[in-house]
Amino acid sequence: MPLLELINVKKNYMKGETVIPALRGVDLLIEKGDFLSIVGPSGSGKSTLLNIIGCIDTPTEGSVLYDGTDLSDLNDKEKTNYRKENISFIFQSFNLIPVLTARENVELPLIIEKKFNKDEIHDKVTRIIEIVGLGDMADRFPRELSGGQEQRVAIARALVKNPLVVLADEPTANLDSGMSEDIISIMQKMNEEIHTTFIFSTHDPLVQKHAERVIILRDGLIASDERKNNGHAD
Amino acid sequence: MGTLIKIAWRNVRRHKRRTFLSALVIAVGLAMFILMNSIMTGWDRANIDNLIELSTSSIRISTKEYADDVESLPLKYGLQNVQELTTFLQQQEYVAGITPRTQFLGQLSNWEETIPVIGQVVNAKTDPTVFALMNYFEGNYFSDEGENEIILGKGLAEEMGVQLGDYITLYALTKYESRNADEFHIVGLLNTTDPNINLNTIMITYETADGFLDLEGLVTELYVSVERRVNYNLFVKDVQQLQSKLQSRFPELQIDSFLKIASGFLKLTEQKKAFGMIFMLIILAIAAVGIFNSVLMSVYERIREIGVLRAQGMKRGEIVTLFLWEGGFIGILGSILGLIIGCGANIYFVLVGIPLDQFSGFETSGIPFLGRMHGEWNIGAIIFVFLFGIIVAIAASYLPSRMASKLEVTKAIRYV
Repeated sequence: MPLLELINVKKNYMKGETVIPALRGVDLLIEKGDFLSIVGPSGSGKSTLLNIIGCIDTPTEGSVLYDGTDLSDLNDKEKTNYRKENISFIFQSFNLIPVLTARENVELPLIIEKKFNKDEIHDKVTRIIEIVGLGDMADRFPRELSGGQEQRVAIARALVKNPLVVLADEPTANLDSGMSEDIISIMQKMNEEIHTTFIFSTHDPLVQKHAERVIILRDGLIASDERKNNGHAD
Repeated sequence: MGTLIKIAWRNVRRHKRRTFLSALVIAVGLAMFILMNSIMTGWDRANIDNLIELSTSSIRISTKEYADDVESLPLKYGLQNVQELTTFLQQQEYVAGITPRTQFLGQLSNWEETIPVIGQVVNAKTDPTVFALMNYFEGNYFSDEGENEIILGKGLAEEMGVQLGDYITLYALTKYESRNADEFHIVGLLNTTDPNINLNTIMITYETADGFLDLEGLVTELYVSVERRVNYNLFVKDVQQLQSKLQSRFPELQIDSFLKIASGFLKLTEQKKAFGMIFMLIILAIAAVGIFNSVLMSVYERIREIGVLRAQGMKRGEIVTLFLWEGGFIGILGSILGLIIGCGANIYFVLVGIPLDQFSGFETSGIPFLGRMHGEWNIGAIIFVFLFGIIVAIAASYLPSRMASKLEVTKAIRYV
């Protein structure tokens, strides 16, 4: 069974009286451990698709099945729990909580999840911060970090709760190419080691280059869905 | 919860100027309430002190028959056990003075007009231990050997057209209800701020009354003063304790405290307090608008942050709680600041007071006490207003918090 199944997903936005279709009927299967990049021009529906998968937006029509459960049947509380337990987000502009240190930002999803005690949280956070290479910067506030370091914190925050799916919306858009390489390789490592599913929405050729599977969206429809033979397309 | 509190507190600290200004609005409201409450309580206390010192004393003892017929001030229901009562009272804590009085109805005449008066037969030695009339005297108090000496309310004297040293005729019914009249030498005038005393009262001593009213030592009322306490509630407690002791020791007697004698006046005082409370509510409502704005600004500034927290699985209720904490912190800071400002300024009012008698026109303004008016500490009101400030801040944060929690996650994350 696929991890996620999108069946004829449509999404319309209203602008005054005008209906603007963002997704026009997307069918998609996502397997556990996919390292998947959704590309397409602005307005093609990439972010909308990501938001619907992440359960922070609902389709106008169609279904999203997660492990066989239709997400549109969930109420707000259940959707919140679904996100809390399964999904992590990485944003283009990092969106760290400015009043929390790097370590505290990373701790946050675990605290929200309320599953672990203090020591467990400490151990998990310490480990993930080491993995993303921010061991010596854990006590710095976001304003004291560079863009790349902030995104590393964002990645650590996304991965610390060991989610099934990480949704990354333009994760490298604000980074230079060196930093982008670093960030992608961290995510690749997590994908390989613990089979976390990564879904990127991106314009960045570098991300596309590293993705195992590239989906091109055009005008709210899947124009192509290409899976590379090895995980690292050259 | 700890993380929510941490985020809330750090946000409050992060926007220092905004926090300070919001807290300042609460602080000013609180400080004004504390001062106003202190001055109003001080004012009321001065009035109550004045009432006790001039008219009611702390406790009044009479026979039940006399109390039932007190309007006509009868001279037939005397206290039989004045000495026993006095001895008992002298053994009690906090008793500052005991004095007998016998009231009677009379008429004062200057041969041209006659005015009805209330006569007070007083013990010249013990009366000043209970009543503070000496502070309001013009002329002399009763002399030791003087006979037929009389003290008049100043207003009464003016109405009768008499002065210190003049003679005036007093008519009254004796204890045996025979009519008697005599000439009295005016030795003193009472110029209190109580119009009842000024316009209607005359005073003579028991020595004089024995002959004039055939009193034979008849005492209809025994007045007791209880030591004044700075804390009014403790003072009331002392009075009530003494009253209940007296009542259980002398069940056949009528024992009334000033709380009953002046119940009408005290009720008015309570009503005034309610007005003060309305004033405070208005001030805090203004503060609430300030906090509402502050938290609303905080919500708008942090829409993306709210989106991120929601995307990570934070519940709507937790978002509400986060902003309520922020409002609560602003409330706590404002309330603490208000306490510091209010109590600091109140120290001056309590210790130094306001010299009301130095304001021009004071003496004719009808303010019922002289000298400085002091503020009073009202710990209950201070605790109440401290908590109220925090509650108002939290309540004012609720609407913006709810707004924050209802933001659509997708829009919030992309909000610029």
